Amino acid sequence: MKWICKRLLIIPNALFIAFLLIQLLPNKAYRIADNPIYTVALALFLEIVLLAVSFLIKKDRLRHIFTDVLGIIFAFLIFWVLATIKLDLPGNAKQAVFPPPGAVLEKFTLDFGQTLTNIKDSLALIFQGYLIAAAIAIPFGLFLGWNMRIGAAAGYIAKFLSSISPLIYIPYAIVLLPTFRAASVFVIVMASFWPILASTMSGVLNVEKRIIDSAKTLCVGRFTMLFRIILPASLPQIFIGCNQGLSVSFILLVSAEMIGARSGLGYFVNNYANFGNYTTALAGVITIGIVVTVITFLFNLLQRFLLRWKQ
Amino acid sequence: MSKIEIKNLHAEYTDKNGLFLALKDVSFSVKEGEFISVIGSSGCGKSTLLGVLQGILTPSSGNAFIDGRPITGPGTDRAAVFQHYSLFPWMTVRKNIAFGLKQVKKNLTRSERYAAAHVFLKKVGLTGFEHKYPFQLSGGMQQRAAIARALAMDTNILLMDEPFGAIGAKNRSNMQELLLTLWEGDGQSRKKTVVFVTHDIDEAIFLSDRIIMLTNSPGQIAAEFDVHFPRPRIHSTIRKTGEYINLRNKLMTLFYDENTGAAAEEEYAI
Repeated sequence: MKWICKRLLIIPNALFIAFLLIQLLPNKAYRIADNPIYTVALALFLEIVLLAVSFLIKKDRLRHIFTDVLGIIFAFLIFWVLATIKLDLPGNAKQAVFPPPGAVLEKFTLDFGQTLTNIKDSLALIFQGYLIAAAIAIPFGLFLGWNMRIGAAAGYIAKFLSSISPLIYIPYAIVLLPTFRAASVFVIVMASFWPILASTMSGVLNVEKRIIDSAKTLCVGRFTMLFRIILPASLPQIFIGCNQGLSVSFILLVSAEMIGARSGLGYFVNNYANFGNYTTALAGVITIGIVVTVITFLFNLLQRFLLRWKQ
Repeated sequence: MSKIEIKNLHAEYTDKNGLFLALKDVSFSVKEGEFISVIGSSGCGKSTLLGVLQGILTPSSGNAFIDGRPITGPGTDRAAVFQHYSLFPWMTVRKNIAFGLKQVKKNLTRSERYAAAHVFLKKVGLTGFEHKYPFQLSGGMQQRAAIARALAMDTNILLMDEPFGAIGAKNRSNMQELLLTLWEGDGQSRKKTVVFVTHDIDEAIFLSDRIIMLTNSPGQIAAEFDVHFPRPRIHSTIRKTGEYINLRNKLMTLFYDENTGAAAEEEYAI
């Protein structure tokens, strides 16, 4: 009994109830009509997840991650509902750029088929660019880091080049590359290339000298030294850059898909924002957020697997 | 001809404090199948000496010779065991040994390498740990695995740089006895030539045929000692003998004497 109380009397549950109570408040007049059914349905769904998680996950740490995230989502929904429909805020807050959650969720649900296509196209673009960047940056970084003399100079040059926003390259990419699609991929390549290169170089420079000595006494060849010793030894550091590269890729997705794309999450957001339809644009923004979270989760799994030899 | 010959070795390095003379005019030779220890306090250049033998460091002048040929780099005739990071942390124990083998014996198949790894892990008492990563093993077990790799490579020369330096006292005695057992083998095959660097006087006496003591910066040979205890050696019996205590006292006096230079030219033998 005490155990059940302990699992139920948590702040996220209180926030859920607060959210339901707030729905009872009268609506103030705003530019965009809300459709509260969607918000309430989402909140109910999240609450079911929350209850299931509270009772099914035994490990404290993992359960707390879920309950805390859900609690923060409830808190945000409360803020969003209050700010956009329930409170009488001064004039500017009533503009179309602040749609209420119900309206956004409605768009999200109605356009779901289109959203799936967008996710598919955007992921194809990002992975293509990202993999090209990693496939060039990692071997190149290993080579530069290992040849210390060039590496020291290359470090500064890479810093200089990485400070240039990939957006600057867009006109050049359009002029030089055969298709718009290739130009879009190029933006993603440029976004992820520098973080991966820089982290690979610093990873190589920080490899424990004693590991290199140990490898030397085994008379390993040049290729074996780079790819069987230096690469795995600097992998923890390389992953830091790969993570950053992934984040920057998603940030630049919108820009990459401005170039001649006809679908994709970035195109979708940009397109609707340009026409002032912020309700639909925000639905796209939320979708991007969810996709990034899922990809990050999968990426962390991959990282944990590849670095399973670390303490 | 001696197996290893070191002639007038000088080694200078520049570090953040400027020019540093690590070794000054070091000459000695090691016979085939001999077990010698190089002893000295930390920073006396004994690891530098081993680095030259491993082919990782280049001396400023003088050279080291193996079978009469000067050392120009690492070689497959030598295997090394270090205090830390002999094993690669991203490879399982079995993979580490197989990887070492692959570098010296290119014609072995993967299953032959794994079979050899199994044999040598058994010799060091690590059967059942084949698929563990180094971080999952204790320090002593890691060193056992490192020794298994060095032995599996089947080189004539074994170069060991304070391999038991980070292991607790009791376990260290066990490791020393294990090392001697493995080195002596079945009495049929030829013994490996071992150069063993340590700062532990008891360890040096217990293991070696001969001890070379280095002075502090710059590292110079202070004295050489022959150690005549019969083999196989066991800690509990050797430590009680008057000879042992005598030799130990001599080494201790020299080791802690500030004016080691004065005794440098004197030869000790028991």
